[in-house]
Amino acid sequence: MNLENFSPSVRRTLAISEKETFHILRDLRALAVSFVLPIVLLVLFGYGVSFDLDKAPLAIVDLDNTPASHNLVRNLTANQEFLVEDWLKDPNDVVTSFRRSRTLGALVIPRHFSANIEKGKSTDIQLLVDGSSGTVAGSLLGSLAAFVQSESENIAYKKTLQKSRPLLKTEVTLQYNPALQSAIFFVPGLVAFVLAIVAVLLTSLTVAKEWERGNMEQLFATPVTRLEVVLGKLLPYLAIGCLQALLVLAVGMGVFDVPMVGNPLLLAFATLLFMIGMLGHGLFLSVVTRNQMLATLGAAFTTILPTILLSGFLYPISNMPRILQVLSLIFPARYFMTILRAILLKGSTFQDLWPHFIGLAAFSIIVIAGARARFVRRIA
Amino acid sequence: MSENPMQNENAIHVSNLERKFGDFFAVRDVNFEVRRGEFFGYLGANGAGKSTTIRMLCGLLAPTNGTALVAGIDVAKNPNAVKRRIGYMSQKFSLYPDLPVEENLRFFAGAYGLSGKTLLHKIDSILDETGLTNHRKTITSELAGGWQQRVALGNSLLHNPEILFLDEPTAGVDPASRREFIDIVKHRVQQGATAFLTTHYLDEAEFCERVGLMASGRLVTLGSPQELKSRHVPGDFWILQTNRAQQIKKQLLNMRPSVFSAHPYGKGLRVRTVSGLFDHNSLTHFLHSFDANAICAKGSASLDDVFHTVVKEDDNTAGEK
Repeated sequence: MNLENFSPSVRRTLAISEKETFHILRDLRALAVSFVLPIVLLVLFGYGVSFDLDKAPLAIVDLDNTPASHNLVRNLTANQEFLVEDWLKDPNDVVTSFRRSRTLGALVIPRHFSANIEKGKSTDIQLLVDGSSGTVAGSLLGSLAAFVQSESENIAYKKTLQKSRPLLKTEVTLQYNPALQSAIFFVPGLVAFVLAIVAVLLTSLTVAKEWERGNMEQLFATPVTRLEVVLGKLLPYLAIGCLQALLVLAVGMGVFDVPMVGNPLLLAFATLLFMIGMLGHGLFLSVVTRNQMLATLGAAFTTILPTILLSGFLYPISNMPRILQVLSLIFPARYFMTILRAILLKGSTFQDLWPHFIGLAAFSIIVIAGARARFVRRIA
Repeated sequence: MSENPMQNENAIHVSNLERKFGDFFAVRDVNFEVRRGEFFGYLGANGAGKSTTIRMLCGLLAPTNGTALVAGIDVAKNPNAVKRRIGYMSQKFSLYPDLPVEENLRFFAGAYGLSGKTLLHKIDSILDETGLTNHRKTITSELAGGWQQRVALGNSLLHNPEILFLDEPTAGVDPASRREFIDIVKHRVQQGATAFLTTHYLDEAEFCERVGLMASGRLVTLGSPQELKSRHVPGDFWILQTNRAQQIKKQLLNMRPSVFSAHPYGKGLRVRTVSGLFDHNSLTHFLHSFDANAICAKGSASLDDVFHTVVKEDDNTAGEK
């Protein structure tokens, strides 16, 4: 192909991009929303959504009421993890407290608690947890159980007055996110989420709009080719998506101290690959539906939901039922999420991550080939 | 490529063109030619196959049979070569309503590969040609319907197409705007372009040099408006003013087959008779035997008459099959 053949094609592609940019600039409000939304989400997830327990409200039923039992409660609330919201006299009142959503858990200290400890006898302490909120119940149970375990070890240690140290001791080191900050965990996921929404939703909407209005037919009566339509339409959204990704990363790094341990270029490459897949996906939806309403629904079900639920953004893939784990392999968000976290937090290299890159590339190739095939068929 | 436009004097040459959707023939065995520089009209009811034909001619739809040569090029084989030489204005709004007039033109100019100074000059000249210069910054959706159609026409004229395909361009536009629109097209035709216009406004078809009429996927008749009238509705037309229309109609229809038809027309009647059956005096005399105040005047055939007659014939033959 010589330059004379080539340059009109580039000119036509750029004409489409320019027109698309005009559309975007005509609707500045939508553009502003598309930039503000990710930041709002980031702040919400960064500050608001947290799986760490902080001042979890508890009920205490102290049937013993001795210095030893008071000491136990004091230790429990010492590090602000728990807060005593209700002091109850009767264990049966715990249910009422749960029903009124005043407390999330309860600790029942039995009669003769202090006496049993003195005698060196084993004592049962009852833990009750409001299980209606699964995640919270899980962490609460874990923390309370750990607390009781360590208290029991302390008491035993004091009783036997052993000078020797325990035989087994765990030395825990949390790699990559030592303080277990939610934001550090969320920012990479949010980058993927934002890119997925922008790419799929906007492209499927704008391309479907061209079908709906009959513009697509008009375009095909000009020398513009399908590839030029596709590229021309996608370029401005690729630019917007990249800007948004940068914005989310910048806020994540500036406000929430998200590190950038790995290679930014590798990250950019992964982002580009992911974006191409998402744009192709949006295009596929719009070619198949030719209708903005259906395209939006399709985008919501096939992108936004899997990105939130099946990518490891909120829930670890390893905890999912086997069938969902297999299903998650279809969606590129999963690979991208893994790559982002690995590069940002762990400094992983391409050698570490290549299978995930292949996953991204495979998805892009399949959707774009599918979109192109449908595109050609629908016209002829 | 063996496309030499000089070899073929016809702008459009269609033979045995067919398009099937499943078992349904949208277009069936259509044959016609359009000469270079001709203003050609394509008539037909909704669903008769006009748009399907035009879409095949523009390379937007592949024919299931037959060939269409546009500007000497086989559209099915080389649609892109055709697209560069034609302008197409579709039935649907082919504009971006959220963009100003100027940006719409700018985009389509780019889509035809124009750029730089050429593009800017071209936009200015199109704005001038379509009378839109004062509206160049107006958001397209804020223009009245007739003006929006001019923008769409402008879009299809940007690359100086040899052949203009206009698919019901004036649907829903007021008569004055329609006339102005057609004048812009006529001006292009005077400069050498060929125009292929589908319409269901029969007054528009009167401007066309030749008219083809489609019914249920077939091209049922073709010719100049005058030819079509003498072919399908021969005879004399009379306009009668009378208060006793019912009675006179009955008397006239008794004279069939010398009288072809008598239809209500205002308060009176419009009558078609065998050529020379009446002259002004004899008809007046005839009328006065029923209504002393009746007046008659010579009328003329319209494409409406052709359309109704042809479509009725087509329905009858279809019913016989």
